[in-house]
Amino acid sequence: MKDSEKTKEQLVHELTELRSQNTELQQSIAGSISAELVADESSRYAESIVETVREPLLVLDADLKIISANHNFYRTFQVTPGETIGSFIYDLGNKQWNIPKLKEMLEETLPKEEAFDDFEVSHDFQDIGHKIMLLNARRIYRKDIGSKMILLAIEDITERKEIEAGLEKTRKELAVIKIAADEVSEYAESVINTVREPLIALDQDLRVVTVSRSFYDFFKVNPEETVGQLIYDLGNKQWDIPKLRELLETILPQKTTFDNYEVEHDFATIGKRTMLLNARQIQRVLGKERIILLAIEDITERKEIEIGLEKAHEESKELTTELKRLSRVKSEFLANMSHELRTPLNSIIGFSEVLYDETFGPLNEKQKKYANNVLTNGKHLLLLINQILDMAKVEAGKMVLALSSVPMKSQLYEISLLVADMVSKKKLQMLLEIAEDLPDIEADDLKVKEIIYNLLSNAVKYTPDGGKIGMIAKKADSQIEITVWDTGVGIAAENMGKIFEGFFRVDTPYSRITEGTGLGLPLSKKLVELHGGMLSVESKGLNKGTSVRFTLPIISGRVV
Amino acid sequence: MKKKALVVDDNGNNLMLEKDLLEVAGFEVFIAEDASSGIAITRKEKPDIIIMDIRLPDMRGSEAARILHQDQETCDIPIVFVTASVMAEGREEMKDITNTGFIGKPINTRTFAKEINRFLNEGL
Repeated sequence: MKDSEKTKEQLVHELTELRSQNTELQQSIAGSISAELVADESSRYAESIVETVREPLLVLDADLKIISANHNFYRTFQVTPGETIGSFIYDLGNKQWNIPKLKEMLEETLPKEEAFDDFEVSHDFQDIGHKIMLLNARRIYRKDIGSKMILLAIEDITERKEIEAGLEKTRKELAVIKIAADEVSEYAESVINTVREPLIALDQDLRVVTVSRSFYDFFKVNPEETVGQLIYDLGNKQWDIPKLRELLETILPQKTTFDNYEVEHDFATIGKRTMLLNARQIQRVLGKERIILLAIEDITERKEIEIGLEKAHEESKELTTELKRLSRVKSEFLANMSHELRTPLNSIIGFSEVLYDETFGPLNEKQKKYANNVLTNGKHLLLLINQILDMAKVEAGKMVLALSSVPMKSQLYEISLLVADMVSKKKLQMLLEIAEDLPDIEADDLKVKEIIYNLLSNAVKYTPDGGKIGMIAKKADSQIEITVWDTGVGIAAENMGKIFEGFFRVDTPYSRITEGTGLGLPLSKKLVELHGGMLSVESKGLNKGTSVRFTLPIISGRVV
Repeated sequence: MKKKALVVDDNGNNLMLEKDLLEVAGFEVFIAEDASSGIAITRKEKPDIIIMDIRLPDMRGSEAARILHQDQETCDIPIVFVTASVMAEGREEMKDITNTGFIGKPINTRTFAKEINRFLNEGL
């Protein structure tokens, strides 16, 4: 029973053994198959990565010959697998890849470092032109091949570079623009800060965006309490001015601009101010919001000056009215004075004249002389009154000339006769040089007489006994020129200015005893001027005689 | 028969002077110191000429002249104003009153009566 003696146990054991061997075998087979599979899968996986990645990849062997390349390599560098696989990298595409830098990296850097990253290579390819590439390399040991190989990833960053360059350019341009914009803004700001009048920029919500330095100076506020504030809240709500509210909220939205809007406000810090407001709504270049630029011109002082001027104008008007009133009062006063002075003079002159004429009986010598003194002085007083009134009339512009044709030649001889008595009394010599062709003139007969009489009598009065006086009359263009001269006391240079002032009489021994009012010369000058002529006095000095020359137009230019 | 003259002046001295001069010249002279009495005397005495001041205490001489001119019995009597108001404004007042003359004060005693006679004889 030997075979038969193999027991069931033995059989089971044998079966188990067999099974175990089978499993082992199977495992061994499976193992070898699976290893192959794994290697294959791993390789395929790697390849699929190689194929999937967008960047060109090269796999080189240790001799830098190309083992494989991916599609993107072929596509990017426009080469075919045939001319690629097995080629020396530097020979690729007609030795286009013979790039010194690449050679250095692959042959020197890589053996030492085992890898390099982001090595930028720029190269001009015949076919594809200028390319900028980033090279990444790894030396890897491939078990299946049993040698080292190089994985070279070529990233074409030409476009990226270009974009980057473009971006850089754009960035630079932007920077320039920004600088320009900044400059513009700076310029604008410097303008804002330079202008003397306070400026304030508000956003649409009427909050302060920026204000000029002058604003701070003027309203005595600081930036912290200003920028970002609602305009009405500025400086303890000092700016909550109803008129400003109306402007900003009602007028500006409709008009976008307003000019010279006058606002008066009593500020706590700076007192009562009158301001002219100009506003513009401006669209900001960037962004769509509008800002409001508000310029504030302080016209307080100008206003004050204007008010002052107006007041001064009022005052001057009042003054003019007052002057007119005074002038009227003066005229009335003169008329009254004339009347009041004449009334007693009527008695003085009248009665003394009647006495002197002995109308009601004879007087003795003394009585008659006294009566004559009263009469003479009464008449002198009358002359004074008349001349003062005439002066006043001329000065008030109330002297009216009664023009007529005056025969000057005969008139001059006639007047000279009026002083003939005095001339002979003083043993003076009177020389008349009256031109034969002296024309008649258009003038006020009585006034002309008065002028010439005044001058001749002055000449007589101020010339010592035995002296000479004279009159020269001639035609000179459209006027006549008359000179009355004497060899008398003359006028000292320092008194020249005073002789027309009135009541000035040359201070000589004669003036004390000489009758005269001191008004003859100034009145004569005024009467000459009233006729449109001129009167001037010349004297070489004290005791050197005097010469008075005056002109009268032949045809009066004055409308009377 | 003597010519009748009425002198109206509120200043006694002037009144006397004019009266004396006219009397010396042969006038019968009546005097009054204000306008109303002057008008009364005129109506009563019918003088040939009236010599009158302008500034009188009760009215202006020009006003008195108008009153006399409105009265048929006195309207033809010439009136000579003798006045110290010789300035233009003074004369302005009288220029519209007819049958009047003007002598300024102070009067010339040597010619006064002659002038009055001339007004009387030759008209105003």
